[in-house]
Amino acid sequence: MKVGAARVLALAAIAILAAAPLWAAEFTITLLNYIGIYALVALGVVLLTGVAGLTSFGQAAFVGIGAYATGWLTTVHGASPWLGLLLALGVTGAVATLLGAVTLRLGGHFLPLGTIAWGLSLYFLFGNIDALGGHNGMTGLPPISIGSISLEPDGAVFYVIWGALAIATILIANLLESRQGRAIRSLRGGAVMVESLGISVFRIRLVTFVLAALLAAVSGWLYAHTSRFVSPAPFDVRMGIEYLFMAILGGSGYILGAVIGAALLTLLQNALQDIVPHFTSNGSQIEVIVFAVIYVLALQFARGGVMPFVLRYLPRGPKPAIAHAEPLPRRTLPQAGSPLLAVEGLVKRFGGLEAVSHVGFEVRAGEIVGLIGPNGAGKSTVFNLITGALASDDGRITFLDADITGAGQRRIAAAGIARTFQHVKLRASMSLIDNVLLGTYLRTRSGLLRAALRLDRAEEARARSEAFLQLERVGLGANPYDQAGNLPLGRQRILEVARALAADPALIVLDEPAAGLSRPDKLALAQLLRALREEGVTVLLVEHDMEFVMGLVDRVVVMDFGCKLVEGPPAAVRADPRVQEAYLGSVA
Amino acid sequence: MRPLLEIADLRVAYGKVEAVRGVSIAMEPGQIVTVIGPNGAGKTTLLAAAAGLLRSRGKVVYDGHDLGRLDVEERVERGFCLVPESRELFGDMTVADNLLLGAYARRRNGTEVKESLQHVYGRFPRLAERRRQKAQTLSGGERQMLALGRALMARPRLLLLDEPSLGLAPLMVREILRIVASLRELGVSILLVEQNARAALETADYGYVLETGEITNQGPAAVLAKDARVVATYLGGSA
Repeated sequence: MKVGAARVLALAAIAILAAAPLWAAEFTITLLNYIGIYALVALGVVLLTGVAGLTSFGQAAFVGIGAYATGWLTTVHGASPWLGLLLALGVTGAVATLLGAVTLRLGGHFLPLGTIAWGLSLYFLFGNIDALGGHNGMTGLPPISIGSISLEPDGAVFYVIWGALAIATILIANLLESRQGRAIRSLRGGAVMVESLGISVFRIRLVTFVLAALLAAVSGWLYAHTSRFVSPAPFDVRMGIEYLFMAILGGSGYILGAVIGAALLTLLQNALQDIVPHFTSNGSQIEVIVFAVIYVLALQFARGGVMPFVLRYLPRGPKPAIAHAEPLPRRTLPQAGSPLLAVEGLVKRFGGLEAVSHVGFEVRAGEIVGLIGPNGAGKSTVFNLITGALASDDGRITFLDADITGAGQRRIAAAGIARTFQHVKLRASMSLIDNVLLGTYLRTRSGLLRAALRLDRAEEARARSEAFLQLERVGLGANPYDQAGNLPLGRQRILEVARALAADPALIVLDEPAAGLSRPDKLALAQLLRALREEGVTVLLVEHDMEFVMGLVDRVVVMDFGCKLVEGPPAAVRADPRVQEAYLGSVA
Repeated sequence: MRPLLEIADLRVAYGKVEAVRGVSIAMEPGQIVTVIGPNGAGKTTLLAAAAGLLRSRGKVVYDGHDLGRLDVEERVERGFCLVPESRELFGDMTVADNLLLGAYARRRNGTEVKESLQHVYGRFPRLAERRRQKAQTLSGGERQMLALGRALMARPRLLLLDEPSLGLAPLMVREILRIVASLRELGVSILLVEQNARAALETADYGYVLETGEITNQGPAAVLAKDARVVATYLGGSA
């Protein structure tokens, strides 16, 4: 199938769907309305669980808050449903912020457990507030109206529901292709790398969580004014699990997966309700069993959901070439030779073991300094202390005249230190260019709203141009849209160098950048680091390849058993008998 | 002598991209054979395909049997073991437990497994000292020792080693490769993939150069180490 043909097909499908009130039976419209309402929640789950990796069983509770807020305002106070929408968004946003602030610091399986906990408690809360009708709920909600036109018939509210879904889908799709969207996508797979780029993991998690809750609130508002009746039952944890499953069945990594999943599950449920009564009178039990079987089969054989199968048959248009744009502003680098980094008396203990013991050294601006020593000598720990990934137990670290001892990773990144990791920390399923773009986070400004409305395009073009420049610089510019995980391990390290460079650092800290590289690639890397020195960027690196280190660096610091053994120019260090014994053997 | 391993016209593709394009390799029992080449040449892919981790076309004949459809576990039971580049240790488990897992295929024979464990401790005294420590607390060199030791617990006849020297200090590189060479005495044959071409050719009997998925040169290791193009590209001036 050609791209053009697929586009025509998609437009035709949208047109047929849009005309549904003209051709479909009323019951079909009702089903479509529910699919749209569910898909809004599932869209939030895709964002939260599929993209950001935060599993939530509790989205139904947010639907409930939205529904009850508008239900209360419109029945008890007789207000317009549009005011109800504002209240629904306001209350849900507030509750989600509060719940998120409490639960989002939880890691691993504690977060999903937390969502079950508040999912359960909000359900009972709805049922036990008399002002909200208790377990009987509230009836007589007004239909949504625009001006004096009431959207009471299903055929009319259909446009509101699917219009809202279309707008939400487009806004979220825009968001994911932006600075903040990349930060959301990078949440999966460990916080250390994300924080090292100056991104606040907690803030991004909270923002994602609140966004997903707001989508659920809109869904709750639509639900309340479509069914015109609100009771606790549709907002319990069982429904929360169903929303999660919609996203997973459709494809939790894809925005359209939410719509497909909501449609599949709703239609299936409907079909079962038609068929099962012919066989047994225990309809609801059979339904549960059939769904359980489908859940298990889907998790076994189609973890990515339906979307990957769909995408296999869709053509992929060519990716846009990355245009050169006005460069991002650069920081002023310190005068070559001026003191840049000073480490004094640094100590780090792990349990009883002193991994770093009173280590001190200095790095001057424009130098390349090598840190060498046997495996386990504490080199990577020193790096983690300098970059704030670990907190030191004693000692002082000064960078550019500021005391950064004990500062967090984000502050240190903002001060101008960028790093790579000994064990590569990339987002394997993101493209090369997106991985490098993460590095530009602190150099760009655009927030969620600008991104959703695509007002960030000028800045985004500049960031892309910068990221592509860095990719080309490290020799990975040929296929910027390849997945990072498909690179051989050695090149993945080089990709980390490009990501660090995209942050425009004054000091770049490289942990074994040449490991796993073949000789031609090592020579190219050495060339690149020399060019950086020419530009005034300072380099501190750990590396085991002595040919590489000794030919490149201005000074070497040798560590052994957590202590500094020797420091000096390469030739002197190489000739030092202590270094030969501890580290080099008799090579030299 | 019948070759222990014969790979014939092996092809591996990722989607439309062919990463290994018709590679043939033969090794005799007790031999150390190395494959060197640039990043992205397909070395890791070659090993993973031979070990049965990736789907491939072509033939892998081991000890006279076509491995064809055998899966990874069945290959391990026949003494065909891969030590991957990333080591893949179980960080939360102790050194001893990591080693015992290496003998999982013959877990029903307790005394034999204990003997193997003692044997591995004998070969790697560092692991014996740290047997109760969690694997994640080990240094880079010790991790590689543990990965090697765990593979030895399966009593392999053929070891596929992917970059055993990766991330190791110079002293440790030589220590690991000394151990690799010493495995020959046990009758273990080794297919060694290394970025450190100099060390690899010093250790191996025979070498292949793999470039963009194809074998471009081969010969006895000592001869390859003097080949002008190999020297220029992979060995460089004497350092």
